[in-house]
Amino acid sequence: MRTGDYKQTYGELVALIDSPPVWLWSAVLLLALIAAPYLLNSYTLSFLMIILITVTGALGLNILTGYTGLISLGHVGFLVTGAYAYAVLVSKYHMPPLVGFLGAGVVPALASLIVGAPSLRLKGLYLAITTLAFSFIINTVILEMRWLTNGARGIQVQRPEIFGISFDSDAAFTYLCLAIAALTLFATLNIRRSRVGRAFVAIRDNDTAARVMGINLHAYKLFAFVTSAFITGIAGALYGIYLSFVSVEGFPFLLSIEALAILIVGGLGSALGAVLGTVLIVLLPEATRLVFSLFSAQMDATFTTGAQELKSMLYGLVIILFLRFQPRGLVGAWHDIKRTWVHWPLRY
Amino acid sequence: MQYLVQLLISGLAIGAIYGLIAMGFAVIYKSTGLVNFAQGEMTMITAYIAWTISTTVSGNVFVVAIGAILAAVLLGLIIERLVMRPMLGEPVFATVMVTIGLAVILRSAINFIWDAYPHGLDIGMGRGIVHLGGIGVRTGQLAVIATLLLLLAAIWAFFRYSKVGVAMRAVAADDRTALLMGISATRVHALAWAASSVIAGIGGVFFALSYDLSPAMFQLGLKAFPATILGGLDAVLGSGLGGLLIGITENLAGGYLGSGMKEVAGFAMIIVVLMVRPFGIFGERDIERV
Repeated sequence: MRTGDYKQTYGELVALIDSPPVWLWSAVLLLALIAAPYLLNSYTLSFLMIILITVTGALGLNILTGYTGLISLGHVGFLVTGAYAYAVLVSKYHMPPLVGFLGAGVVPALASLIVGAPSLRLKGLYLAITTLAFSFIINTVILEMRWLTNGARGIQVQRPEIFGISFDSDAAFTYLCLAIAALTLFATLNIRRSRVGRAFVAIRDNDTAARVMGINLHAYKLFAFVTSAFITGIAGALYGIYLSFVSVEGFPFLLSIEALAILIVGGLGSALGAVLGTVLIVLLPEATRLVFSLFSAQMDATFTTGAQELKSMLYGLVIILFLRFQPRGLVGAWHDIKRTWVHWPLRY
Repeated sequence: MQYLVQLLISGLAIGAIYGLIAMGFAVIYKSTGLVNFAQGEMTMITAYIAWTISTTVSGNVFVVAIGAILAAVLLGLIIERLVMRPMLGEPVFATVMVTIGLAVILRSAINFIWDAYPHGLDIGMGRGIVHLGGIGVRTGQLAVIATLLLLLAAIWAFFRYSKVGVAMRAVAADDRTALLMGISATRVHALAWAASSVIAGIGGVFFALSYDLSPAMFQLGLKAFPATILGGLDAVLGSGLGGLLIGITENLAGGYLGSGMKEVAGFAMIIVVLMVRPFGIFGERDIERV
């Protein structure tokens, strides 16, 4: 039985997973996810796909907002850039999908340099509003560059075929999303425990102190922007493929807010939080629908007529309630439960 | 030349509406240090209430105006008391996110309570056309510019001379010291929310008067952002003027460069301005103590 946290070397302090049970449960979760496409029907499978895609995007935003503390209200801009980069490269110029995915990462990363550079002097809310401005500008740029992006008509996207494996079926596409989401999770966890990740967190906690300790603020902030945009762009490409159609309307501004909501509900600055938050936020509307339909068929009818509105109101309410009562998010709640479980009846 | 003047005047008119909403932003920022992302939605609710009053109670200008102002005050107070007051003392980021959540709720509530179709607010005036030197201007447009200028003067005097205005500035500068001086910070916050709601609401009603009332109106809030940023978040007067500037820029860009540019001209402008002055044109530089 585990009787405490005994860390004797630096290696143990930064280890990815520090206890065997966590390894075990992670493996179980992975196996469950691998088995899922065969066990779920196509309706539930679509939720799994959305969750995996959203996790990727949320992890991307988490690097910028969660780790580095730079609030971005314009992440949908990177999402849409990534989706368009993929669509243009693959559907229009018939490049292999892998090149498309690379482009979906690199193009938003370059765009993030453009928005990141002027943002280096800005702090807090001014930065948030600059990123907001960026996301509106990028939409207009896409609509105006008709020769490349078909303007408002959008671009059709097929499910890809990589190394001869077709990802056409829902199950196969889920595996693709799973692979990318898992890779992203590993990447962000590893970034967090490296020198770079520690620099990000130092900047978030106190940028003046970080600078005094020899962290190049400009370089690391830009690096956070680039990494975050790269990951978000890939998520955008996946979302575009999922929708099978890329257009500016497919990526409304609300997605930026949804992404921030996910981070807050999950717990800001934690990869686990991003995952938990995504699961909650994606399943929330469906869960409410189920609860409503349990009560009465008539309420179910009201729900379908005002569904979109109720769904958004619920978003707002959940964000507010979490900020009010559980500011550390689901991760915080999980830590509290764990502590209570281990130490009960003592407080600590 | 006439085209240019026409663009300038309609730019001033829409800019005055942005300016009013931007002043709403600035009043809240100045006394609480928050950016209220629900400003556009609050503006929209006030406009919708004004419309409801005009269709159900009476189309009389004074009835609508007084009703709308009372509703705006109430809305500001309710939001402050129920949503913002519990967040007192929490980090700024959390509190700002609360206003985003609030924005989402209010926006859906409007679709839920009213409907998704555009309406025209008709109170029997504001749509007439006056000819000024050969250029047709709607009376509503003239009225909104006049209102903005009047409010600018009134607010300047309020912050400069009235005891309450000085108290608000004191809370903004240092809430703890203000508390020690016997100022009730919570009351000042409540007052700021009510005032901001009213100022922005006036902008919203004027917008509904000159254009249409529709659920897409919350975008006014997004459009007024650049105005506030341009003027400086903590500069109430600067925000008002920033609105005029954004309105003119937008209209000129729309008139000469195409409608796509009209949408983003304001945003492009703030990025450029913030690169030069990261705290807005009229904003105060934030000096950080280490």
